[in-house]
Amino acid sequence: MNMRKRYRGVIGVAAMASAVALVVTGCTRGGDTNTGEDGEAAASPGITDDSITFGITSPLTGPTAGPGNCTVDGALAYFGAKNAEGGIEFGDGKTRTVEIKAYDDTYDPQKALANFQQMVAEGVFAAGIGLGTPTNRAWRDAAIDEEIPQVLVMTGDPLFSNREESPWQLGLVATYPQEGEAFGQLLADSGEEHKVAILSQNDDYGEGYVEGFKNAVEGADNIEIVGELTYEATDTSVDGQLTELAASGADVFFNAMSITPLVISALQKAQQLGWNPSWFLPSNTSSPTAILEPGGGAAFPGIYTVAFSEAAASPAFQESEEGQAFMAALGEYTNQDGIPGFPHCVWSWIGAATLEQAFQNMEEPTRESFMDALLNISDFDAPFMLPGAEIDTTIDGIPAVSTVVVQKYNGKGYDTVENFG
Amino acid sequence: MNRMSKLLSNTWVRVAVVVVVAALLLIAPLVLPVFANQTLTRMGVYAVAVLGLNIIMGYTGQVMLGQIFFLGVGAYVTAYGVNNDWNIVVTFFAACILPGLLGLVIALAAARLGGLAIAMVTIALPIIGVPLAKRLTDLTGGSQGTSARFSSAPDWTGLDNDQWQYYMVMVITVIGFVLAYNLVRGKFGRAMAIVRDNEAVARSIGISPYRYKVMAFTIASIFGGASGFLYMVAVQYTSPETMSFAHSISLLAAMVVGGAASIAGSLIGGVYYVLVPQVTNAIDPTVTAISQGIILVAVLFILPGGLVSLPRVIRRLTRKRDTAVATSPQTTSPMHQDAGQAAEGPETERQGQS
Repeated sequence: MNMRKRYRGVIGVAAMASAVALVVTGCTRGGDTNTGEDGEAAASPGITDDSITFGITSPLTGPTAGPGNCTVDGALAYFGAKNAEGGIEFGDGKTRTVEIKAYDDTYDPQKALANFQQMVAEGVFAAGIGLGTPTNRAWRDAAIDEEIPQVLVMTGDPLFSNREESPWQLGLVATYPQEGEAFGQLLADSGEEHKVAILSQNDDYGEGYVEGFKNAVEGADNIEIVGELTYEATDTSVDGQLTELAASGADVFFNAMSITPLVISALQKAQQLGWNPSWFLPSNTSSPTAILEPGGGAAFPGIYTVAFSEAAASPAFQESEEGQAFMAALGEYTNQDGIPGFPHCVWSWIGAATLEQAFQNMEEPTRESFMDALLNISDFDAPFMLPGAEIDTTIDGIPAVSTVVVQKYNGKGYDTVENFG
Repeated sequence: MNRMSKLLSNTWVRVAVVVVVAALLLIAPLVLPVFANQTLTRMGVYAVAVLGLNIIMGYTGQVMLGQIFFLGVGAYVTAYGVNNDWNIVVTFFAACILPGLLGLVIALAAARLGGLAIAMVTIALPIIGVPLAKRLTDLTGGSQGTSARFSSAPDWTGLDNDQWQYYMVMVITVIGFVLAYNLVRGKFGRAMAIVRDNEAVARSIGISPYRYKVMAFTIASIFGGASGFLYMVAVQYTSPETMSFAHSISLLAAMVVGGAASIAGSLIGGVYYVLVPQVTNAIDPTVTAISQGIILVAVLFILPGGLVSLPRVIRRLTRKRDTAVATSPQTTSPMHQDAGQAAEGPETERQGQS
């Protein structure tokens, strides 16, 4: 009886093995046989004479699904509209449509890598635009090995824009040091005496901001850093740090904090302490409605953040011709309902427009030619960029968004400012 | 069916089947496309993780919600070892032993609590593990994670990377499954089953439920650590996200879908864990979560024993039809006996799963 049971197990395994064998007969191992017989440079996989495939792996379900879906939808809408017009004329003279293939990684690094492997199997030409630092890092090495572009990824991690370490990569959005530096520059240029207190998250995020800020104020005599403390991303309160920093007498508070509830409580605590400095907040924790209103941000002389793109909800955006085209395309080609709640939709649209630039300039249908073209974009008037913010892919160490602008809270939203104060 | 069993009782036939399976496992990566190898490799990774979970949860009946923590620790130990130029064999054993020691220490305390308390303690593991991994920057690389590239094929093999990784994972997975198979079939497995079914009975016949729970927990964490090593073979990168609590629940769901308290079910669980997201990507990438939910509920309703019980259910259904058609008692009775026994064995084996 016991023996017989074991044979059944054996039968099961054998059945499974034969199922695998059946799959084997269906497909054989394809070598990388890129036979370009027509004399031209052999085309890379994923590109034909009339289409090109671009893959995006992003969290489409799970807690980060909101921004994740936006990273796909902006590009989907942009190229949906372009394809409806007949496609994009590439640098080699051929007109191609752009097919976006979306993959869900649920913010799981392992799945992001699996998605990349699936993309390779399904023959995408290039990939990117997806959201997330660990997820993008998970397939970075594989992309370099396979020599497949991993471009315009949405992470503030500077590694992706380091040309030497990441030859097949490029970031899209500004890195953490870039944001910190922009604010530091504004402060240094003010010419006035300022005492700065710094609070930062004790990880690469906080360190990036502080590093950028310090680089900018280095050598500026008018800026004195009077207090510098850190907190852990898992802390539930920073009251102790705030009390200490408030006692330093600083009139500017540089707060590199990525956790929404902590920022709100920090704004409230500072008011309780009677400390009224000007604030700097990172771009992802400076939302007027979600953070500054509940935190009582209007009580401070100024709250500054950095930005590079227009907000889709602003009246100016909605009234502009481009903005209306964006909304129409989003409505037609995606499942977004109304004005998207996350800026990533606009960013993805900007990323798609940058991709189009590269497509128009690539002279051969190869990945090498694409990377050359992509890393050569300057003076590009991208859609929805704030005046002063730029796309420039030619600077080593800097992602596609090369310049950001500092903005100041006006009680409702943000205005771009040239000067501090 | 009867004739088939008789055929298989021949030793030579059994040997032949094992040889054929082994040959298929060995030859498959040489002919399969790259992506199929990569997929099979990842299946092996999660099959080992699910197997560990099955030992503590399926066979010993203790609710374990933190298996991903041990996978994560195994992956971090591997990454640390590789980046500090440890010998790869040493790294592998460290990746098994350290999570095993952690599991032992945790189990010594948790198993004493008994009941649902052990579940609560294991929930805490990934919840503590993620911030801990972020904080121990020197060891873990912080929230940016750490890469460890050691599983590229050596030149002398003449293999591609995907083939080499497949073989590494396959060998360890096969060893793991053989060990687990022998474990649950032996004295230890019977003791675990008694602990699961009735602790009072276990105690009355001199089996200490506490000791067996601790042992099962430790073994589960060793398998978790081994799967962490395999994770690094396949993925070559780990970050705090790797051990997020949600993945632990996904592992649990994979175990239930595959079949609790079943060795083959663990394998199916690993296949399920990897395959479903890949299939939903091809259909509609925005339905990953919901499709997994639907499959889980469907399996629980239709096949409470998991997908591994599918052949048994089919057999039971066909047997019913056979008995209805048959008229002569002589022909039905041996069949009856045979099928009845076959169905009974695994049934008792799977009691107590919830």
